[in-house]
Amino acid sequence: MRQATGKRDRDIFEEVWPDKRRIVLKLLRQDTVSQREWQDLFFGVHFVCLWDEKGAAKIYDCLQQDIVEFIVQAQSQVQAQRGEQALLATYIVEWRKFFTQSNYLPLPFRQLEQSPQVKPSTSGSSSSASASVSASGASTSAAAAAASGSSCIGQAGKSGASTSSAAGASTSAAAAAAASTSASTSSAAAAAAASGSGSSSTSSSKKNPTEDSPVRKLMLDSWNKHIFHDIKHRLQESAMKIVHAERNGDAYDAQLVVGVRESYVNLSSNAEDKLEIYRENFEMAYLKATAEFYRLKSAEQQQENGVLAYMKYADSKLREEEVRAKRYLEPSSFSILTYTLVKVLIVDHLNSIIAECPALIRDYETERLNLMFRLMDRVLHGVGVEAMMGDLQRHIMSAGLADMLSASEVITQDSEKYVERLLELFNKFSDLVRNAFNDDPRFLTARDIAFKTVVNDTSVFKMELPTSIANRGVKYTAPESKCPELLANYCDMLLRRTPLSKRLTSEQIDARLRDVLLVLKYVNNKDVFMRYHKVHLTRRLILGTSADSEKEEDIVEWLREVGMPADYVNRLARMFQDIKVSEDLNTQFRTSISRHDAINIKILNAGAWARCSERVSVSLPIELEDYIPDVEEFYKKKHSGRKLQWYHHMSNGTITFVNNFGRYDLDVTTFQMAVLFAWNQRQHDKISYENLRLATELPDPELRRTLWSLVAFPKIKKQILLMEPATISSPKDFAENTMFYINQEFAIVKNGKSQRRGKLNLIGRLQLSTERSQQEDNQSIVQLRILRTQEAIIKIMKVRKRMNNAALQGELIDILKNMFLPSKKMIKEQLEWLIEHKYMRRDDDDINMFIYVA
Amino acid sequence: MKVTIKSWTGVATWRWIANDENCGICRMSFESTCPECALPGDDCPLVWGVCSHCFHMHCIVKWLNLQPLNKQCPMCRQSWKFNVH
Repeated sequence: MRQATGKRDRDIFEEVWPDKRRIVLKLLRQDTVSQREWQDLFFGVHFVCLWDEKGAAKIYDCLQQDIVEFIVQAQSQVQAQRGEQALLATYIVEWRKFFTQSNYLPLPFRQLEQSPQVKPSTSGSSSSASASVSASGASTSAAAAAASGSSCIGQAGKSGASTSSAAGASTSAAAAAAASTSASTSSAAAAAAASGSGSSSTSSSKKNPTEDSPVRKLMLDSWNKHIFHDIKHRLQESAMKIVHAERNGDAYDAQLVVGVRESYVNLSSNAEDKLEIYRENFEMAYLKATAEFYRLKSAEQQQENGVLAYMKYADSKLREEEVRAKRYLEPSSFSILTYTLVKVLIVDHLNSIIAECPALIRDYETERLNLMFRLMDRVLHGVGVEAMMGDLQRHIMSAGLADMLSASEVITQDSEKYVERLLELFNKFSDLVRNAFNDDPRFLTARDIAFKTVVNDTSVFKMELPTSIANRGVKYTAPESKCPELLANYCDMLLRRTPLSKRLTSEQIDARLRDVLLVLKYVNNKDVFMRYHKVHLTRRLILGTSADSEKEEDIVEWLREVGMPADYVNRLARMFQDIKVSEDLNTQFRTSISRHDAINIKILNAGAWARCSERVSVSLPIELEDYIPDVEEFYKKKHSGRKLQWYHHMSNGTITFVNNFGRYDLDVTTFQMAVLFAWNQRQHDKISYENLRLATELPDPELRRTLWSLVAFPKIKKQILLMEPATISSPKDFAENTMFYINQEFAIVKNGKSQRRGKLNLIGRLQLSTERSQQEDNQSIVQLRILRTQEAIIKIMKVRKRMNNAALQGELIDILKNMFLPSKKMIKEQLEWLIEHKYMRRDDDDINMFIYVA
Repeated sequence: MKVTIKSWTGVATWRWIANDENCGICRMSFESTCPECALPGDDCPLVWGVCSHCFHMHCIVKWLNLQPLNKQCPMCRQSWKFNVH
């Protein structure tokens, strides 16, 4: 059989091909080809391949010659053009024609794909193809199987191709046809081959069916070699000139550029990287041209119109170029183009743009800042954005502090004004971050850092905290911002019945309380806030001066939500519980004794309330004295195993005061009550300080303070007590023989007129601590901090067992930051203390390593 | 001139009446809590036995649960009975 076919080799090819070759040439020239000729071509190729062992290679060689010849013709046409536009236009016309053909011409030659002589030719050179001819003496059985399999595929391919060229049927129809043909032959091998080809055609249905055809490759390679290679630089240059003209706003034909790009992309014969030629030539040229164009333009623009206008220019050009890139470049080039543009338009001008930032922030030029931000955000590694963040942070800090300092006169005195001023400032800067920087998280962080600095700043006002209790004698103080204290005061004004809380609606109060919590977020030393808040809450609950008890409980939950320590919040909740329990107790007590419905009792859980100082003894008015045992007896019955301890410095009441002028209801503390009752039996007497002390049994400091509140209560026209000598200006100046007497002319004065009836509150600020100075108060804060620090260190070490200093400090700050920021000094001192007391020790080899000692 | 009391609010805190300073089990002060609790007072109550010894409720309950047979007061070894007033 081999001999037989070998003998007829030359004959078959020579016989059949010259006729078919005409059809090929027609196709190349895009002349009309009848359906019959088209089918003939399929048949011819199939026939030669089937009967001529080397037929495939022969056809391939012949085809190559024809293609090259055709291309050379086309080249001469293109080269004949003088003008750039004409050259481009002609090239593109020729290229389009050729490219269209490269989709159709390979179809009849699909038989060649099966041929081992043609397939391995990756380089597209004919020599390697012919070399492989001699090497592959295909075995007859395999060749026969392949032939029988491929015969039906060939037919299917032919019918599919003819319908697609004539009627434009879809490839799936061709696949279906192939399947039906293979079914009719009912050969197992054929079925397998057909199903293989069917599936490959469906899987590649999105791609061009001829994409990996050797003929197509041959066509494109030839084009590349014979025409494109010679003129690609001219083409490229022309294309870039068109783009350049377009950038300058001149008339242009975009299609020419697109055509050049397409030929670059489609000419690639590298299957793994189809864009290789495109990338190395067109893309590179495009990037280079772009960079050069804008390098000149950007410098020019900036010089002519200034930086601010330049930003606008850069922004619009970036957009413009992105749109242009969509037209002229492959999607894979977009990112590198953007990178190039950003480099030329922004990075090269980074410093001069950034230099404008502080002024823009100062002037609240949100639109321009937004523009700048958008430009800088494109720069890799965020260098520009970081610089802007720094500017923002510095501005907020300096502007915030300057604002606080300029208003320091007012705000140090008035917590309402302080908090409102602070919030106004915050809102202003938050607006800036929102409008100019779209609330970008990086800028929010910068804002937060700056706010923190403003809030915790100690230059406007500070409170002095002793750094350690041990050095009580030495004046070591660490100043801290007074902000948390003022926040707590403001909270109190909102929650207490005050002119402020009466003026505002419930929603307004809620909004302001939320604002307070917002500021609190930035406060380092939240424990100070908690402490003052609790003191205020204690006063409100004891005196019953809350504006809205529901709100009181709301804010406790809000404090929990913002991350206040749980045990602190639980204690606050406990206080409300105590008040409720006391109310029930009161009702029961009143029904049990039925004598006096004027007595209220508030029984508190000692651990939950603001720490009270030691009890103060006082001799109560006889009326009250009688009730004390009743209450104690009643309570004992209710709760066995408990006894009551009276806190008379917190007790208070209302008395009716009658004099010649009128009748008044006065809210007083129990101490004031005790003092005033001293006159009940001797109304017109003058009583000396010494005798008052004997009568009331009050300790000296308490008596002085109480008397002072009766002779010099702020903001009232007529005081209830008068003294002799009347010139004393401070409670410290009361002497043993200073005389006090009831002001018989006492009256409540309203609008300059003395009233005959009225109500007056003489309690003022309920003294929770007896005679404790501010310094001692602060010391108790520090003492608590020390304990909390020790506790937290032990907690960490118990879990970790071994830990180095840096890690320990990190975790410590993490645990404590919701309460306060422990200073390095304090941490060190407490570590030393714990080591000294054998809770932990240092590692023998590493002084920075701590080991927990159980 | 005459002063009369219209109303009065007395404020007091309460303490446990215990026969000892510290809880015999956890050695913590009665005014404080057992080791498990955070807030003294109602949340961590004291209880008395018929033998008159008193402990944090949490402490004695834990102790009693640890005794397999006869539940005794840890102080006096008498059998433990809660003294309900």
